[in-house]
Amino acid sequence: MKNIFIKLGEIDRRYIFVLIALSVLIPLLKSDWIKMPIKTTQNTQIVFDELSKLNRDDKILVSFEYGASTKPEIHPMAIALLNQMFSKGIKVYIISLWPEGVIMAKDVVTNVIDSEIFQLVDGVDYVMFDYKVGGEIVIKNIASDFRGVYMQDINKKSISQIPMMKDIYSVEDFDFVFDLSAGVPGNAEWVQYACDPKNVPLSSGCTSIMVTDAIPYVESGQLKGILAGMPGAAEYENLVYNFMKNDLENEKIVNFENILPGKATSRMSAQSLAHIVMILFIIVGNVSYFLSRKKGNRI
Amino acid sequence: MIFFKRQFATFVLMIMGFLALIGNFINNKNLNDFIDKDATQWYEIIAGFAAFLGVLNLMKLHLTKISYKRKNWEYSILTLLSFFIMIFFGFFYNDSQVPFGSHLKDENSTFYWIFDYVYLPLASTMFALLAFFVASASYRAFRIRNFEATLLLVSGILLMIGRVPVGALIPWYVVNLMYVFLIFILLGHYIKTRRNYFLLFLFLSFLSFVPAIYLKWYLNPPAFLSIPLIQEWIFAVPATAGARAIMIGIALGTVAQSFRIITGREKTILGD
Repeated sequence: MKNIFIKLGEIDRRYIFVLIALSVLIPLLKSDWIKMPIKTTQNTQIVFDELSKLNRDDKILVSFEYGASTKPEIHPMAIALLNQMFSKGIKVYIISLWPEGVIMAKDVVTNVIDSEIFQLVDGVDYVMFDYKVGGEIVIKNIASDFRGVYMQDINKKSISQIPMMKDIYSVEDFDFVFDLSAGVPGNAEWVQYACDPKNVPLSSGCTSIMVTDAIPYVESGQLKGILAGMPGAAEYENLVYNFMKNDLENEKIVNFENILPGKATSRMSAQSLAHIVMILFIIVGNVSYFLSRKKGNRI
Repeated sequence: MIFFKRQFATFVLMIMGFLALIGNFINNKNLNDFIDKDATQWYEIIAGFAAFLGVLNLMKLHLTKISYKRKNWEYSILTLLSFFIMIFFGFFYNDSQVPFGSHLKDENSTFYWIFDYVYLPLASTMFALLAFFVASASYRAFRIRNFEATLLLVSGILLMIGRVPVGALIPWYVVNLMYVFLIFILLGHYIKTRRNYFLLFLFLSFLSFVPAIYLKWYLNPPAFLSIPLIQEWIFAVPATAGARAIMIGIALGTVAQSFRIITGREKTILGD
């Protein structure tokens, strides 16, 4: 038995790769086999509650700062966010501070429009702006002069011709800012250069790896909760899904049967299983290390 | 020329740094407008031009590598080939119904197709590969060598379980036993005989359930026996404390570096 464990410690890493691949693939391909209950954490609940406080015709600025590599983690929360906002009749202003962000934003909007849950009109319910180079400097400019940064929308239409741009001059004219980020510029820059100095509520959805850096802002209240990676996305998706399904008198929702659970929820089983496999590896690795050290000492 | 490269550049740096600094303390409209609007717009324009510098640098780097057939020069051919393909479909070829420029975000353009079906899967794959490397690395490197390593291991495992739904399924008595295991991992070295070790472990395991039964934790488990709540506590307290310490350190470093730049002492940013 001891020798088996010691040998396991020297196992070829390709076997580890195969086991990890299986632990991810099986729940994704056979989603009925493993189902995990999604329990909402405090930070996700805060995000949902803060966004729920917004009223009809309030304005939210959504900033896309992620790309293809982090799409599986952040895209589901972006879709759920727009679903919640449109179901409450909130005006959505979309900007991108990453070159790929604009394609991500367009994909999210197309996804929500194609779901046919709402009847959305470009320039009335939402407006999209093109990518702007400059990172935190763009954020600083948005804080003081939005119109100086964005003179036309993504369709090259002048902002003077867009009805929902009428009262927008700086970040202070928004009721909420939501940042979807996977790096720099991200939620830290929004806190430092725009939302904290101008006292505009801010929430963020980010990758799991970014959470440790963002948590001090959450604890200080500068970020109103945080959607942390895929688990955060799954929890938020669930909250939005239940809210929309149960809000039967919502006149903004035109197709209730098209409301479906999001993708992050189904991906959580895969992540759970992969984490369990990794922990088992760590335990086996440590037992092997302990036994081999003991054997070495004896020699 | 050396005057513009050294003295003049240092002078511009000092003036701009000084203006940006006092703009935060003096409430003068012209000064504030300059700092908040003009200077930042200059930055945006310069940053836009920096992309061209990046392109030139990329080409120079890879062409040199190919010319001298340096290590892995074959990959440089692929890099340049991919670069020119994207340049062609981005700048010169538009097969969609929308005007030039907008085709970069139009689903019917070849540029968008390449992004969607080539770049997107490749970028996702690169990121997903991390899972394999993390698994392999944790198998070999996450070892209980000393107190610090044990602390890292335990908090790492708690975060890994607590972040996923399976963490909420772990019952309180298992977490209770995990605490006993943890105590024995840390104090095991001090118990000399195997018999004492085993007896003490059994005794402590039994003892840990006494308050649980007395305080009826089985009905309403306290926060320290819930993995997701422990995970949230780790984020809220030790992780926040560590992150804040790093942030304060960075901020102090930034202040010191900015002071050196404003006073003209820092020469490295001029390329020296």
